[in-house]
Amino acid sequence: MSHLLCLTLNLAAFAALALATERAQVEVLGQRLPAGRSTALRGAGWVLMLMGVAVAVSTWGWGLGLVEVSGYSSVAAGAVYLVLIAAQRRRA
Amino acid sequence: MNAPQTNPAASPADRAKPAARGIRQTMSDLHIWTGLLLGWLLFAMFLTGTVSYFKEELSQWMRPELAHRAETPEPAVVASRVAKALETLAPKTTQWSIGLTDDRHAVANAFWRVPPKDGAQRAFKDANFDPATGETVKARETLGGEFFYRFHFQFHYMPVRWGRWLAGVAAMFMLVAIVSGVITHKKIFTDFFTFRWGKGQRSWLDAHNALSVFGLPFHLMITYTGLVTLMTLYMPWPEQVGIDSPALKKELTAQMNAFIQPGKPSGIAAPLAPVEAMVREAEQRWGPHSVARVTAILPGDAAARVAVSRGEIGRVSTSPQYLLFDGVSGRLLEDRNGVGPAAATRGVMVGLHLGRFGDGATRWLYFLVSLAGTAMVGTGLVMWTVKRRQKLSDPQRPHLGFLLVERLNIATIAGLPLAMAGLLWANRLLPVEMAQRGAWEVHVFFIVWAVATAHALLRPARRAWVELFWAGAAALALLPVVSALTTDRPMWRNMAQGDTALVGVELMCWALGALLAWLALRTARHQPAARGALRASQKAGSSGVATEPGFTGGMALSQGGEGRP
Repeated sequence: MSHLLCLTLNLAAFAALALATERAQVEVLGQRLPAGRSTALRGAGWVLMLMGVAVAVSTWGWGLGLVEVSGYSSVAAGAVYLVLIAAQRRRA
Repeated sequence: MNAPQTNPAASPADRAKPAARGIRQTMSDLHIWTGLLLGWLLFAMFLTGTVSYFKEELSQWMRPELAHRAETPEPAVVASRVAKALETLAPKTTQWSIGLTDDRHAVANAFWRVPPKDGAQRAFKDANFDPATGETVKARETLGGEFFYRFHFQFHYMPVRWGRWLAGVAAMFMLVAIVSGVITHKKIFTDFFTFRWGKGQRSWLDAHNALSVFGLPFHLMITYTGLVTLMTLYMPWPEQVGIDSPALKKELTAQMNAFIQPGKPSGIAAPLAPVEAMVREAEQRWGPHSVARVTAILPGDAAARVAVSRGEIGRVSTSPQYLLFDGVSGRLLEDRNGVGPAAATRGVMVGLHLGRFGDGATRWLYFLVSLAGTAMVGTGLVMWTVKRRQKLSDPQRPHLGFLLVERLNIATIAGLPLAMAGLLWANRLLPVEMAQRGAWEVHVFFIVWAVATAHALLRPARRAWVELFWAGAAALALLPVVSALTTDRPMWRNMAQGDTALVGVELMCWALGALLAWLALRTARHQPAARGALRASQKAGSSGVATEPGFTGGMALSQGGEGRP
């Protein structure tokens, strides 16, 4: 259960961070977002990522928790990256 | 490896970063050349190391004679049964050690000391035991998943020490390549999610960056801790200087592992106390299923000792933790539950590298990110040729350095997966009673790899890529079929019995086979664009840089270990 929560938080975090970039906004939404919205997304991304760390550390302790977070953040970043590429291909 | 024959100074500057000068440019050159020189070794170490995260599952698959058990008996009971069996099997031994059953070990494995022959320092025998009966079970002779694991840090056909030194030098190069790569990559955050499709060298660089940056914590950790696992080999001097008495030497060993050397026997016979109670006492301290191993020294002698050691599940460390009992009275003598700070640091680092502490989900994370690391090395190697192909004066007749890198890339990236599949085929097809069977499985691996290398050298580059990828895909796809025909453990029966290890290995073969097939298709469909053209066929997802067969357009993406959409 904690595994799933940790993965979901990291996926949401990286999705938010990606959507805070201009390139992803154009590729996925077809337009740029206002600067304020981008900043909010970036902030949300970091908060979500910290929540992922909090969940992992409270579940598994510092040692194992940080290992899990490292793994989930890598995999989540990769997954978001592949979705972005798919979106980019669809629009192309 | 005469790649450096191309003078680095004369090599074209990294055109992707036109503004970069000074430190970044220097680091870029360092990154390119340290990455290339031992890149093929690193790719092989990464790939075989990656599959080693499923070493126990592979070992189970490679010993189909050992039946699957839905329920494993209590470890304390298993320990007691095997200890009893060892009384008759190894009555005079000075030491035996039982690896208990758990989720990943369906049978108990024990080894015991036998009198050494021919001047050897020590010798052991070992056997597998049915946890339900304590009887020995026979399986085909094979190294199991152990071969890939050993290969990834000491190679084969050479003295172990040489192999480990070679692996250490390669890991050191890797460390330099990682650090210089991070310095070179100036837009690590801005370009974090960037992938530019169909832009040739640029696309390769984007993919290489993504594979490297997403897994950066892992890549750094695995390279550094890899060096730490063998630090006493690479840096023996502190030990030579500081550890100068037998007592200190003994203490050093005790800090690093739970392997206890037998002392002097008393010569007075005395029966061994029941080990079941000892295991239960340990489980009370550490929790159920926490005991991994029971070791007895001088069993049957009045001076007997029994060590019950804790496994790695749930603790990120390999530092020894064990209870030491008097082997006759069964009284607890010592609770060794900590080591000095330096040894503890080492224990955590080795534990992190091995990743044995985790549950199934954690193991998958390790596997996926490690596969991304393999792809990082692979894309880096291919990029070296992609970048230089467009600058060849005559693409039909590239210079020797280019040719060598290109062919070694094919032999390694496309040839190694085929060879690994070959080893698994040999495991199923070599006669069970064959002499030296385990060794021959390994010989088959190298024979297949040698043939693949010859193929890569003799065929036109693109044909070689496509054909070897297809061969690898077919070998992996057919493996479950071969297994169903040659054993009584076909996939459907394993599924019905809930044997996730065996089903998982075969499904993984199919997944990796599909990946290789996709690579083969992408490479075969790739339409080389006209020299210098910037746009290429969008459908093939190809690059504008390729000017001749051999450039694999789709590979950058496909090797991403982080799962395909």
